[in-house]
Amino acid sequence: MSDDAKITIEVDGQQLEATPGQMLIEITDAAGITVPRFCYHKKLTVAANCRMCLVEVEKAPKPLPACATPVTDGMKVHTRSPLAREAQKGTMEFLLINHPLDCPICDQGGECELQDVAVGYGSDVSRYHERKRVVRDEDIGPLIATEMTRCIHCTRCVRFGGEIAGLRELGATGRGEHMRIGVYVEHAVSSELSGNIIDLCPVGALTSRPFQYRARAWELSQRDSVALHDGVGANVHVHVRRNQILRVVPRENEAVNETWIADRERFSYQALQSEERIVQPLLRENGALREAAWEEALAGAAEALQAAGSGLGTLVSPNATLEEMFLSQRLSRGLGSSHIDHRLRQSDFRGDAEDAPMPWTGSRFAELSSNQATLLVGSWLRKDQPLLNHRLRQSVLAGGAVMAINPVDYDFNYPLVESVVTRPSEMVSALAGVAAALGADAAGVTVEPDATQRAMAQRLKSAGQGGILLGVAAHLHPDFSLLRRIAANIAEATGCNLGLLPPGANVAGAHLVGVLPHRYPGGRPVEQAGLDAMTILAGNCKTLLLFDVDPEFDVANPALMKQALAGADKVVAISSFDSPWLREHADIVLPLAAFGETSGTLVNLQGDWQSFCGVVEPKGEARPGWKILRVLGNLTGVSGFDFLSTEEVINEIRLEAAGMTPDNRLGTPVSTLKPELSESDELQRVGSVAIYDVDAMTRRSPALQATPDAWTPGARVHSSLAERLGLVAGDEVRLSQAGCSASLPLQLDDRVPDKCVWLPMGSPGSENLAAGFGPISLEKC
Amino acid sequence: MSIRNEPMVRVKKFADKSSLFTAEIRAEIDRWIAKYPDEWKQSAVMAALRIVQDANGGSLSQEAMDQVADYLDMPPIAVYEVATFYSMYELKPVGRHKICLCTNVSCMINGSDDILAHLQKRLGIGFGEVTEDGRFSLKEVECLGACGGAPMMQIGPRYFENLTPELVDSILDGLE
Amino acid sequence: MSLGGSIERVDMMKSMINYFRSLFLFELLRGLGLTGRYLFATKVTLNYPEEKAPVSPRFRGLHALRRYPNGEERCIACKLCEAVCPALAITIEAEPRDDGSRRTTRYDIDLFKCIFCGFCEESCPVDSIVETRVYEYHFENRGEQIMTKQKLLEIGDKYETQLAADRAAQAAVR
Repeated sequence: MSDDAKITIEVDGQQLEATPGQMLIEITDAAGITVPRFCYHKKLTVAANCRMCLVEVEKAPKPLPACATPVTDGMKVHTRSPLAREAQKGTMEFLLINHPLDCPICDQGGECELQDVAVGYGSDVSRYHERKRVVRDEDIGPLIATEMTRCIHCTRCVRFGGEIAGLRELGATGRGEHMRIGVYVEHAVSSELSGNIIDLCPVGALTSRPFQYRARAWELSQRDSVALHDGVGANVHVHVRRNQILRVVPRENEAVNETWIADRERFSYQALQSEERIVQPLLRENGALREAAWEEALAGAAEALQAAGSGLGTLVSPNATLEEMFLSQRLSRGLGSSHIDHRLRQSDFRGDAEDAPMPWTGSRFAELSSNQATLLVGSWLRKDQPLLNHRLRQSVLAGGAVMAINPVDYDFNYPLVESVVTRPSEMVSALAGVAAALGADAAGVTVEPDATQRAMAQRLKSAGQGGILLGVAAHLHPDFSLLRRIAANIAEATGCNLGLLPPGANVAGAHLVGVLPHRYPGGRPVEQAGLDAMTILAGNCKTLLLFDVDPEFDVANPALMKQALAGADKVVAISSFDSPWLREHADIVLPLAAFGETSGTLVNLQGDWQSFCGVVEPKGEARPGWKILRVLGNLTGVSGFDFLSTEEVINEIRLEAAGMTPDNRLGTPVSTLKPELSESDELQRVGSVAIYDVDAMTRRSPALQATPDAWTPGARVHSSLAERLGLVAGDEVRLSQAGCSASLPLQLDDRVPDKCVWLPMGSPGSENLAAGFGPISLEKC
Repeated sequence: MSIRNEPMVRVKKFADKSSLFTAEIRAEIDRWIAKYPDEWKQSAVMAALRIVQDANGGSLSQEAMDQVADYLDMPPIAVYEVATFYSMYELKPVGRHKICLCTNVSCMINGSDDILAHLQKRLGIGFGEVTEDGRFSLKEVECLGACGGAPMMQIGPRYFENLTPELVDSILDGLE
Repeated sequence: MSLGGSIERVDMMKSMINYFRSLFLFELLRGLGLTGRYLFATKVTLNYPEEKAPVSPRFRGLHALRRYPNGEERCIACKLCEAVCPALAITIEAEPRDDGSRRTTRYDIDLFKCIFCGFCEESCPVDSIVETRVYEYHFENRGEQIMTKQKLLEIGDKYETQLAADRAAQAAVR
């Protein structure tokens, strides 16, 4: 709005500038004038039902709620006049009538808005002597504890459900004194953002269940950190007591996560206290791992790495910090091997030569909210990057269209305008159809576009601002190179932004510092490219260095991983968590500091470098990854490992990667791409990773694993397929893939296309199978 | 409450609407939906609930409310909110004849307590209960706006005023 | 001059008196007289530990955790005592008990740190942490000064009758 539209109002004698249409409370908040409130929240619509923000406005006959009073020129407001105070005091008294006096056992005690406002604006004694009302609690899942008697009906949680989570699960049923907030029909809330209602609730009605009764607000120290489960890099506050992380809450950053975080960022900290943490270096002796001292283990590891030389294959978690990634590639390359990769779940590397310099969302996160048309390709954005989905949902609320080409009919919290649900093998031709409808090059795939594809093309083309987002399923697809090439062509033909949304928290960082077989730090090409993750696993490296990798679950093909581990001469694992395969095959295990225990930097998918400090001591003998790698560098005699802090590492990275910015432009097309998946009739596996199986921490968080979103062990097929095979839900079926097999219970899910089996990578039981996408057979046990 | 009830709140429109209710009920609800703008068909929720309640023996089951939600593409909780807010939606089964007895000030002064005592004695049930044969149920209501004829009660769509125990007997005898 | 002469005379008189007093052991006799008087006066000392001084119901001695008459521990892990303790002597850890109620899993008071100010008792909303009348206790080994939840509950059980009576006596003024 232009400056001349500004008006002036007077609040408590202070002249304040405002824009017409703004609510009074926005002006007072900006000016630092405190007006008490419960129901008002800047990210939610105005409800004006708590009446706590009543203020006196001159010439108005009664006090007005500041949250629902639009400003007008020359308005004179008194927030502390006797009239305003009396109104606030009266409201406070009414609110406290039915509020129980159980602050000593309430988890909100000490950080409670009602407590604070009662002290500031309430009366000392209550005149109410009648009985208080009691509300029966509903069990709304493993993440949120309820105590609805404490509820003051501000409806922030209800509004959050409708407006932000896009799924109205909580509601206000009944009326008057009988009004209550709840789900009515008891069930666990299923939103992936549900944890935010814990923060929104101004009282202790909704509190964190994993944190329940564990600590008081005043015992906790608040430290800043960055979450690491997806490429958003949500900013968080970590709450620490006696060297233990007890809670994670959002830290406001309008450009990244606004005021929200997803549940997996909030509750994954539970894994830090898991029994499976490795707390002591381990060495293999006489076939079994034994505890060892750091010196001994490091010497052993250095010896193994030095002996390996160019035969070293390094797999680095895409969640590792920038510093860890930088040092790991320097170590590997210093030892003479460029066989290093972070794309552990990717299976198609044919397009490496045309890789984008630094993948990103194609636009700033906030800009996603103003997309007029967006095409999702192989993306369950809602579960893969929940906060980006929230941004995209805002675009839908503003009238934008979202379309999808997916291997499963994923549910979104907004309607898809056009949707193609096909088997993975037909995703390429579906996308090629859109390209063909635009007359763009479909990378050699010839296909006649159908009506849906034409409509998609039309919407993308006519959008003033559009996006085509390649999601996690697309990145893990065996024809990723083709999908990406076609998507890039569509983006070019329509003027849309191409967005790449790979799994992992620091993929952009990995491209920055060259944790890739074919790129050095700064994106400089390697003359003789090393081996990619798949080729390393195919048994081409006799020594393996695994950095923060759960070998069973973090790779595209566990069967290959198992062979590689068994076939390797030496396996050195730097890992936070124990796993059976490490127990069986690793020769040296070095305990790694996990989330919150190390300083570092993550680069998110819009290219923000976000550094954070360690907030607690690493558990047991675990040490930060950059320190482990630095010592390994020193012991193996590789030069350039004289860092004393992560700041020094990051300074070096800044030099090496100077001038690199997020860039999705693909290089010269690789000409010989042919679809890898055949469109034959055999069953295909759909194996994109599930929301709470993305990394070692989410898999080990008991609360997350108890939610409805967690993958229940089993394979899902369409009911018509089950019928043809004579199977019913719950049958134990044997799934076979490339010589390995697993038996799992069968589940029916009509979102899965026919002739497909939905079984994500990283889900329980998937470690006994092979590639996430590809042929699979299914029979009754 | 000003929850932004976008028509799109329900993620997926319920596809197979012909499987819900009977053709007559659907036609009746459609008639109400037609009164509102296309994207605001959830405005017909109150009428839909009433129609379904009437067809459902005078009360709403959870399944019935879920079907209304499906039919109007609303989140089920939004339908529950409406159904629990208004006292004339019955969430528990009621008798064939729902006797709504006013106990508000005017009726109370004019002896609604005696009428209540008589009803309780005759039917053997209290407020919120149904007779064993499923014929009558008794409900306490607030002022129905017929204070001039207090004490009064409502059975079905009909008001009965200036009640006496004898009059109540004759009214009830007249109902099957 | 005459004034100076009179001062000299007074000084001479004083030294004469002192001389005779010390010559006849006057001060010794006076001291003996005092001793003799108390030898026959009523005694005020107590034969501790056979005899004990009376103790106020507000006495702030060894700590205890109380229970309700039905045996349920009172403490609800609100941690107000931990927060108010000026010596940081109290350490509490809590989590939901199996029945879902809020209880401590650890309640330690370090008696080396404790200054017996009684703030913990005053802050307790459920009269759980109290200070008993017990002041006779000792430690033989380092570490014994940490009063654990178990020990505190046992003390509470042992003195419950007295504790309840003291609380009742003070109810009017608390």
